[in-house]
Order: sequence, then C-alpha cells, then structure tokens
Amino acid sequence: MLNRYIRTIKKITDSLSDTHTIILVIVAILCLAGLITLYSASLFDPQPFFRRPIGRQILWVLVGSGVAAIIYYLNQKIIFVSTYFLYGLGLIFLILPYFLGARIGGTARWIGIGSFGVQPSEFMKVLVMLAIAKYLATTPYSILDFKALLFPLFFALTPMVIVLKQPDLGTSIVYFGLLFPMLFWAGARLFHLFIIIAPVLSIVTAFNFYTYFVWIIIIITILYLTHEKLWVSLTVFLLNLVLGSATPLIWNHLKPYQQERILTLFNVEADPQGSGYQIIQSKIAIGSGGLFGKGIGHGTQTHLKFLPEGHTDFIFSVIGEEYGFVGVVFILVLFLAFLLLCFYTAYRLKDRFCALVIVGAASIIFIHVAINVAMTIGLMPVTGLPLPFFSYGGSFIITCFILLGLILNIAGGKQY
Amino acid sequence: MYISTNHITSIRKNTILGIIVLTFIVLVGRLYYLQIVKGPRYRDIAEANRVRLVPIEAPRGIIYDRNGLILLDNKSQYNINVIPFELSHTPNTDSNLACILKLAREQLSQRIKNNWRGQFVPIKVAADVDLATLMTLEEHKIDLPGVYYSIEPIRYSPSGVHLSQVLGYVREIGKDDLLRVEGLGYKKEDLIGWRGVERQYESILRGIRGYTYIQVDALGREIGRLRDRQNLPPQPGNDLYLTIDRDLQLLVESLMENRKGAAIVLDANTGEILSMVSKPDYPPEVFSGVISAELWNKLRTDPDQPLYNRATQGTYPPGSTFKIVAVLTALGKKAVEPNWSVFCTGQYRLGRRIFKCWEAKGHGRMNLHDAIVHSCNVYFYNLIRHEELDDWANMAKLFQFGKVTNIDLPSESPGVLPDVAFLNKKYGENGWTDGNKLNLVIGQGDVLTTPIQMARFCAALATRGKLVQPHVGLKYFDKKSDQMISFEFKSDSISSISSSSWEFLEQAMFDVVEMGTGRAAKVKGALVGGKTGTAQNPHGEAHAWFIGYLKEPQQTIALAILIEHGKSGGGIAAQIAGKIFNFLHQQSRIQLVAANAEPLYPHN
Repeated sequence: MLNRYIRTIKKITDSLSDTHTIILVIVAILCLAGLITLYSASLFDPQPFFRRPIGRQILWVLVGSGVAAIIYYLNQKIIFVSTYFLYGLGLIFLILPYFLGARIGGTARWIGIGSFGVQPSEFMKVLVMLAIAKYLATTPYSILDFKALLFPLFFALTPMVIVLKQPDLGTSIVYFGLLFPMLFWAGARLFHLFIIIAPVLSIVTAFNFYTYFVWIIIIITILYLTHEKLWVSLTVFLLNLVLGSATPLIWNHLKPYQQERILTLFNVEADPQGSGYQIIQSKIAIGSGGLFGKGIGHGTQTHLKFLPEGHTDFIFSVIGEEYGFVGVVFILVLFLAFLLLCFYTAYRLKDRFCALVIVGAASIIFIHVAINVAMTIGLMPVTGLPLPFFSYGGSFIITCFILLGLILNIAGGKQY
Repeated sequence: MYISTNHITSIRKNTILGIIVLTFIVLVGRLYYLQIVKGPRYRDIAEANRVRLVPIEAPRGIIYDRNGLILLDNKSQYNINVIPFELSHTPNTDSNLACILKLAREQLSQRIKNNWRGQFVPIKVAADVDLATLMTLEEHKIDLPGVYYSIEPIRYSPSGVHLSQVLGYVREIGKDDLLRVEGLGYKKEDLIGWRGVERQYESILRGIRGYTYIQVDALGREIGRLRDRQNLPPQPGNDLYLTIDRDLQLLVESLMENRKGAAIVLDANTGEILSMVSKPDYPPEVFSGVISAELWNKLRTDPDQPLYNRATQGTYPPGSTFKIVAVLTALGKKAVEPNWSVFCTGQYRLGRRIFKCWEAKGHGRMNLHDAIVHSCNVYFYNLIRHEELDDWANMAKLFQFGKVTNIDLPSESPGVLPDVAFLNKKYGENGWTDGNKLNLVIGQGDVLTTPIQMARFCAALATRGKLVQPHVGLKYFDKKSDQMISFEFKSDSISSISSSSWEFLEQAMFDVVEMGTGRAAKVKGALVGGKTGTAQNPHGEAHAWFIGYLKEPQQTIALAILIEHGKSGGGIAAQIAGKIFNFLHQQSRIQLVAANAEPLYPHN
C-alpha cells in the first residue's frame, strides 16, 4: 500500500524535468509567501477563518492546484484544437455580465455562479493569449506582412473594448500588452508594432501640449529612419496627428459624466479620500518597512487600515511593510527567476505554438507583476491589477494556476 | 505536437529578457530608495499616522483668600466635539446632533466649517453644555457616531466676590505672547494668565497639559492605547493664597456698588492688601469659559472701563489728602512753628489771581493743627509760600510718589510728582509761578497719584514711616516640593522725619476724624485717623478721597478710598471708610474676645 504511494509519487517526480521542479518550487514559495501575507493582512478580521480572505484564498489555491494539475496532464492537441471555440465562449461570458451580471462597485465584471462571483475577464486573459498563439502558429501569411497581425489585433482588441467599458483599465492593458511580446517573439516587424502602439500613445500624450509635441517629433523621426513607403508613412503620420489633435477637442465636448467615466478608468478602485491617497499610504507602508520590515502582523499601516485594498491590489505594500526591503527583493527575484526560466524554455522549444503559449503566459505574469509593483511604489497611476500568487481573488488565482499548468504542460520533459 | 517552427533570433530573445531584467532593476531601485534611503522618514510618517495625541487640560491652581476661603476655583466644562469624517459618513447624524444641541443644521455645519482642521480632527461644536444635554447625548450615543464630549477645566468663582481686576483672567495664548514666553513650553491653544493675579502668578498657577497617546486607525477611530508609550498625566497648577480677606472684600464691594472709584485696605505694617476694589467691575464668571464676542466688546468699549483697575492704574489728583506732605515739610524744615497762624477769609490773593478756600465764608484763625483738621486751603496757600518747592517735592519723594509701588499686579501707573525740574521742563524756567505751588500744595495741578500710592502713603503715616510694598500674593503651595512657600516683599522706612512731627501729625489726623472733615469715618471706641480730599477735575464733579487708618492692638490697618465724582471727601468717601473701620474694629474685638475667652468646663 505504502509502496504503491511511493511509486506513484516517484512516477510523478520523474515526469518532471529540472525546469519543472524549479518552477514548481518557485511558485510554491510565492504561494506560501502570499498566504502568509494574506494571513497577516487579515489577522484582525473578526470573521471565522474560512470566511476571511486567508481562509478563502487557501481554498482557491487548492482548487487552482487541482486545475493546474488537470491542465498539466491535458493533451496539447486538445488545447490547440479547442482554442478558438474557447475564445468565442470566453467572449460570450465577457459580454454576459452586461445582461445579467451583478454590478459590484459600479463595474460589470462579475457573473454569479452559486454563491461565488466569477470574473470571466480573468480567464479571458488566457484565452486571448491562446488564440493569438494559435493564429500566429497557423497563419498562412508571412509574419512580416501586416495582414498576419490583423487577427491577433482583433483577438486582443475585442475583449479589450468590452472590458474597457466595464470599466477595467488594468485588464484591458493586459490584453493589449500581451500582443507585443508575442508578436515580437513570432518575428513581427518593429515598424508594425510601432503602428499598433502609436495611436494609443497619441491619445495619451495629447492631454499635454509638451508631451504631445515630443511624441510627434518621435513619430517623425521613426518614420524617417524606417524608410517606409511614402504613402504608408504619411498615412500613419496623419492618422496619429488627427487622432492626437482631435482628442482634446472630443474630450472637451464630452458631458461631465462621460468624462467622469473615462477618468474612473485611471483610478479603478475609486479613490475614497481624494487624489493619491492610496498611493501615498502605500508608499508610507513600504517605506516604513525599512530593511527588514516590521514583522508579520506588525505592519501598522496595514492593520490600522491606512493601507486600502491591503489584501488585493496593494498586497505588495503589506509585503514591503512587514518583510522590508529584504523581503520584497526576495519576492521580486523569485518572480524574475520564474520569468527568465519561462523565456529560456520557450527559446528551446521547436514548436511555435508551444513557444508562444509560454511567452504569452509569462508575459501575462510579467505585466501583472510590473504594473502592480510599479503602482504600489508610485511609479504608475493606480490601474487595479493584482499581484500573481499573492492578491486575494478566486478568479485571478485560478487564472494564475491555469497559466502555471500550461507552462508546465508545454515546457515539459515530454517531448512531442 | 508540431505545427510550425519556432523562429526566434537570440537578439529578440535577449531583448525581451533585457526589458524584463531592466524593469526589475528599476523596481528594486525604487524600492531601495523608498525603504532604505527614505525609510526613516516614512517610518516617522507611519508613526504619526497611527498615533494621536489627546490633550488633557490641566486645571490651574486654586486661588484662596488669606483665611483659606476659595476665591477662584475650577469646574469642569463639557464640550461637544465631532469628527467630521464620521459625521459625514452616517446620514442624519448631523440633524440629530443639531436637534439635541438646539441648533439649526446650518449653524452646526457652519461651526464645523469654521473650525475645520482636517477630516479626522475633532471639532468643538458646543462649549459648556448643560448636564441634561449631555445625558440626552449619551442616551443616543449609538445614533451619533463621531460625536464625543470632552472635559475642560474652567475658572469659576464660588464665593460671590468679584475682585475682578485683581484676579484678572486667562485667555488663549496669542502669537505675540508665544514669543514673549518662548522657552517655557507653551503651545498654541494653551491658556495663559492675561490680567491681574492670573498673569502675575502665571508661573505658579499654570497647570501643565497632559496627553494620552492613543492608536487610531485610518478612519481616526480609537483602537486602543499605545503600549510602548507612557501617558503624560496633566499637572494641576499650584494653589495660591492671596492676602485678600474675603469677608472684608465682600463688604467693600457692596459699599462701592453702583459707584465709580477704588478702595484699598491694607495692613500698614506688612503691606498685605486685605481688600482691593475697583468699580465698576464685572463678575469673574464672565471669563470662565469662552467669552462671547458680544460681551467682550461690551466690556471693552464700556466708557466706565470695567476691565481697568482704578486702584493701581488710575491716576487722580490727590486733593487735600496731599496737604500732609506740606505739613511734614514745614515741621521738618521748621519753615513755620506749629502754632504759626493764618486768618482764613475764604480766599487768598496772589497777584491778580484769587485762590479760594473750600469754605467760602472762611475758617477764621487757623494754626497748623486746625488747618489740617478743617482742611483749610488758605492756611496752606500761606504755608507753601514759606517752603521751597523742592523741599516739598523731596518730602513727597520720600513716600515714593511718582514711582510705582511695585505691587504684584501688572500694569501699574507711576503717577506724576512735579518738582522744580519738572515744572521747568513743562512750562519753561519762567513759565510757572507760585500759583503752581499753590495748586500743588492742595493736591491739584500737575500732581497725580494712584489709589494704591495713597494707601501706601497712609500706611506709612500710620506706622511712622514704614514704607511697605503693597501686595496681594501671600503664599502658595508648591506641589513639587510639597510645601507652602511664602512670598517675600521688602519694605523700607523713612527715618528723616522726627518723632515729634509724627506725633503732631497723628494727633491732627485723629482730630480730623474726631471733629474735622472726616467725622463720617468715626468708629465708636476705635482709634481712627484720616484725611479727606476733594479733587477738582475738569471732567465734572470733584473726586472724593479719604485716606485713613485704624489702630488696633494687634494690627494697624490703612485704607484709601476714591470715589470718582463723589463731590467731597468728607461725604461718601469718609462714610465708606467709617463702615470699613467699623467692620474691622468689630472683627478684631471678636478676635480679642475669642483669644481671651476662658475655657468652659462642664459643671458637675
């Protein structure tokens, strides 16, 4: 009986390559650190254990591990074949909250299943990534042709527009941001990537004359240096010029409530105490942690609720306050190691789809980590992206585990 | 599974890896800056975030009279405070509170707006609420989140005496005062003694504000006390004992009621002021809590100046009481013999000017003694012409006229004592004549004195030249060393006046009360001396003066009474003095009886 168990465990460990082991260990440490942090953040929560964030998160991690295991053992063919179908399904679920979803905090991003709310937009991150990967692996067009980029663009922009309306800027940034590493990996031309990003930057920079001015000069320089066909360059230039110039005009003609709606994009978890309160308190929490932190459960900023969203978007501030510089660097190094491992693995793979899935999955993690941390330390405006394996939230943690399952599956020792 | 080839150049791979590594370096760099470089600063901010200092006001020292009766005490005032954040986040709280405080909602929000110091900083919306309101508030505590009451000690006077200008009052420290008392640990919003004893003995009476440290959450709600910090308990001020006799003070205040003027009663040997009244005054309760702007303006702009201590700050011509200076000069310099006499016809001619005696039909033949007793002006016009002005001025200077008495009350006036140099300076060397001298000798003209100077002068006359420093502070109980500390006051004495002069003057002053102008001050069976004065002034009726003393076996008591526009010193001023002397005489007789009483043993 015991022997059988040991043999089963041995079989499982044998099926894991070194890369697998390292990735698993890293994720295990991150999850554990995440749970400890959550435990600390909800230490003085008067509710019973399994109703607290920590209790629930433990359940989610267990469920997530199960999901990751299932995906790990799933045949890649099934994943590959069902991708578009799942993507379509995902889009339907994404629109669904507008018709039947409970609006939580004025945003339509949840649909209820039983007593749990599910956020389809989280799972959609995986599906967008898979769809793009599949298309790029199978497209008849040369990747150097802009036509090859049209479908990936469509795959990313459709859910992005839906999510932006929710409004959820963070998630839409993930959908959009995902495109670039994947297209870049697939070998798309830099000029094409530039064309894709340019309109976004034109709109953003247009709110300030000087930034817009600098941006226009950058466009001209790039267009000049790339020696594209004249009509292409001119079209791109004029398009951006018109877009940028029109933005302030359109903005000024918007009704205040419309402006308000757009502005809420930039502080999704609406700032309750006036501008920058969250960031200020987050910086105080992290800064006051010093080198070694205040110790688990001793973060005054966290426990006296100066720090808002301490167990979701601003969990990194809790880490900073309680574990100090040593703690945050340790966590960041783990994330970095995880990402580097993923990209090295992707580089080694023969198949484009597999490589792109890993690149996409790692990019999703990277975007979350970078934006979340940058936001908590005041390098970026608050956009409301959670920290993978740390932030509390069922849909998100399961999404992270799906990504982990995919990475392990594809990166695996199993060669095809 | 194979679908298509993974074309990836190592440059592209490395670019992506480079971007990732660079991002992490930027993040770590920023974290280094926040946690290591700025760490201590953020730690301070985090600390300030969670710690709130709650001040506990310390009561000021209690002020007692000489017998240990309370003159000025403290009581608790209940204030209602609100925390704006909590108030604005629960509906109806403001209207409920407004209803309980009997305010309009707009009034309440106006008060909050006026005192706004932050979302989480408590704001005082009502001061000194009564107990009924407080109880209603406690009953509805659950419906009033963010509404708290605080206790603040305020002054109150349980005894019924006013003693207004002597006690003074406290007020919130201003910017200028903060500079003045720099280094003594005063903070904004502290109370500081502003007038009278409260100001003079500030360092003794002042209580040191205490603090409790409480830990608050982001909403400013109290989470608990800080275990790692010691609370600072408030230190009440030291209790102060004044030389004032409360019963006497009550009497004098009632005698002076509805008049303008000042009265000072002091122990002639020690300078202890038993009573000091300046009317009109105000009840001390006016300043106990927060004074309303309306009342403050009324007190400040009242033409009768109730805030002004006439006893130490008011300067008046001393009138005939000042004739004593000329008497002492004449006796000392032997300018005339005591039996040198003058016939008073009711007027005195100097050149083309006529100086009148107050008795229009004249006093007839007067010698020095009779001239004092009947206060004959014409005699003194004649007398002063035999005296050098500076001799006269020097005599007055012996009694420290023209200088502050250094009474332990702030803002004392020095008065004016003219001498030759003064007149030369004011009128030019040839600008003044004997006419000025004639005015000065009867205490008119340029000479100005304060009632406290006159009281001290009188005390010196009663004690044959002992020049005391009048004072209201007796002793205080030092809480630190746990002992009673008496104040030391120096006294001086005048030795250049011969005892025969004193004897002569004493007899004359007794006779003033016995049969002269001061008969109203007479007390049966008591030894009372005095001098009346009627000071002409350009503002209306003459001011009435009476200075006098009562000699009892145990003590000698001197007083000075000034009634503005009291017409004549022999009238109202002497009457008041008589009542005071009578009271003191009875009191000392009772004390004498008590001291000599034989103990009674129960009969078998």
